[in-house]
Amino acid sequence: MIEARHLTKRYAGRTAVDHISFEVGKGEIVGFLGPNGAGKSTTLRMLTCFLSATEGTATVAGYDIYEDSLEVRRRIGYMPENVPLYPDMRVGEYLRFRGRLKGLGYRECRAAVAEAMDTCSLAAVERKMIATLSKGYRQRVGLADALVHKPELLILDEPTNGLDPGQIRQSRNLIRELGERHTILISTHILSEVEMTCGRVIIIDRGTIKASDSPQNLIRRLRRPGSVLLEAKAPATAATKLAAIAGVQEVNPSEDQDGWTSFVLATDPQSDVREAVHELAIRESWKVRELSSRTASLEDAFVDLLKEESPPESSSSLKTEN
Amino acid sequence: MRPFSILFFKELRSFFLSPMAYVIMALFTFLNGWLFVSMVRAMQMQASPRSLVHNLFASGWFWMGFLILFPLITMRLFADERKMGTIEGLLTAPVRTSEVVLAKYGAAVAVYLVLLLPVFAFFPLFRLVTGEVTAFQPGAVWGSLLGLFLIGAFHVSIGTLASALTANPLIAAMLTFVFVMLHYFLGFLQNFGMVTGSVWSEGMSYFSTTEHMNVLAEGLVDSRPLVYYLSFSVLLLSLTHHVLESRKWRA
Ligand SMILES: Nc1ncnc2c1ncn2[C@@H]1O[C@H](COP(=O)(O)OP(=O)(O)O)[C@@H](O)[C@H]1O
Ligand SMILES: [Mg+2]
Repeated sequence: MIEARHLTKRYAGRTAVDHISFEVGKGEIVGFLGPNGAGKSTTLRMLTCFLSATEGTATVAGYDIYEDSLEVRRRIGYMPENVPLYPDMRVGEYLRFRGRLKGLGYRECRAAVAEAMDTCSLAAVERKMIATLSKGYRQRVGLADALVHKPELLILDEPTNGLDPGQIRQSRNLIRELGERHTILISTHILSEVEMTCGRVIIIDRGTIKASDSPQNLIRRLRRPGSVLLEAKAPATAATKLAAIAGVQEVNPSEDQDGWTSFVLATDPQSDVREAVHELAIRESWKVRELSSRTASLEDAFVDLLKEESPPESSSSLKTEN
Repeated sequence: MRPFSILFFKELRSFFLSPMAYVIMALFTFLNGWLFVSMVRAMQMQASPRSLVHNLFASGWFWMGFLILFPLITMRLFADERKMGTIEGLLTAPVRTSEVVLAKYGAAVAVYLVLLLPVFAFFPLFRLVTGEVTAFQPGAVWGSLLGLFLIGAFHVSIGTLASALTANPLIAAMLTFVFVMLHYFLGFLQNFGMVTGSVWSEGMSYFSTTEHMNVLAEGLVDSRPLVYYLSFSVLLLSLTHHVLESRKWRA
């Protein structure tokens, strides 16, 4: 659906996007993940023909973004960052205007708007002025605008930016639903978002692609040690016994009150030592009140990727939500 | 041509749904109504060698109100879209930039004509009420309507370009006002210390809006102002198109 070849954008003196090449297949939901200023919006703007690339090119549904810009735009439903809308229009009126502008006929447009408003649960605000809408509704109007002409490809730039956790969950479900009918490219700097909605993640930092894989593979590939937490009533000598379990690299005990001790076990990646720990505890007759494992998350993978070669400030803008 | 009409009517709607449209219209109509009455009074006192139409449109008061219309009509066209960010949705829709420019320009010209309408209603009303036929010839009314249409079309294209140059409607308005004024006063340069009929004064009269109006308000249709205003409008609109397109490449 998208095929980008060496896309590059230089702004006066600085390279925002640096020879990016990637592909998005039909039906995929791909997450474009990176800290603020990584070049996500710039890349999406080049794909939607809002900006021209300094170098390189891309095709969308087989059409070149320069040669057949109109055909490309016909096939894209784009929701820009921060969802710009006309404040002096009513919701229904705005969507009908956008539908007609994107080439729908009069009747066709009415039906399409009704459908889009239904998908995005906008019926209650159809006659409201956009200026009076809450952030959550504005976002949904933007989404309805993006899909009103039933495009093959949806490009959403930070669609959940500024929403509260409940709204984020709703829009995440909506995006997953939309994934059944559209190819979706969604940009975000929020990790949990791509982890839950996207089949593939493209991680971008300072204008270059750092990784492109499924969330699961990314986590696996990074081979971060996992860790297991054990809280038990055990003597101080227990640490050495725990360290003897195969797969455990390191044990950090810390004493709690009333004779309880917390042991944090650093383990080899992908080896689950909980069963062995449990058996040991039974053999030694330790009382256990917690035994849990914390596996590496996409967040860890992301932070590691960015750490590989970057100065500290670039990952400082990372944000994790729920 | 469909995107053109959709954008054209959207622009018209958003202009006439804002209260500002009616404030401008009321002030402009009031100013010219007052001017019209003063002209009629003056002509009653003392016979004038010129017609009522000529006297109205040669008045500095008319031009003051008139030139202020353009920044007000055009300031929001592109600057507001850039300020709000809606330009991104607009230009990523499957529409040509040229259609966007023409639709916005066309809508602004239409708005301008609507604002002008009440002033031109004065003449038939005057004739109807007073039965006076010697005050002006109908040809003078048509001629000055054509003149004001051409001048307006040109001034709106100045405003369209100014609005595309900035993301701040106020700056767009000031730019438009400055250039509209400069062009207006350029026409007066022909009188500067030069003998009538010299190359300088002949040349400068080609730029003179007031000179064009004087001719057209006599009911004489001259092709020179026609070519002059239309070609400059086309030039400024293609510059606007260029500005919008180059935004893609710019830093
Ligand atoms: N119009 C512009 N002019 C100059 N620099 C820009 C412009 N837009 C973005 N940039 C710079 O390009 C880089 C990438 O920006 P952007 O694509 O918006 O990042 P993201 O969407 O990932 O946060 C940033 O460093 C930003 O400051
Ligand atoms: Mg961005």
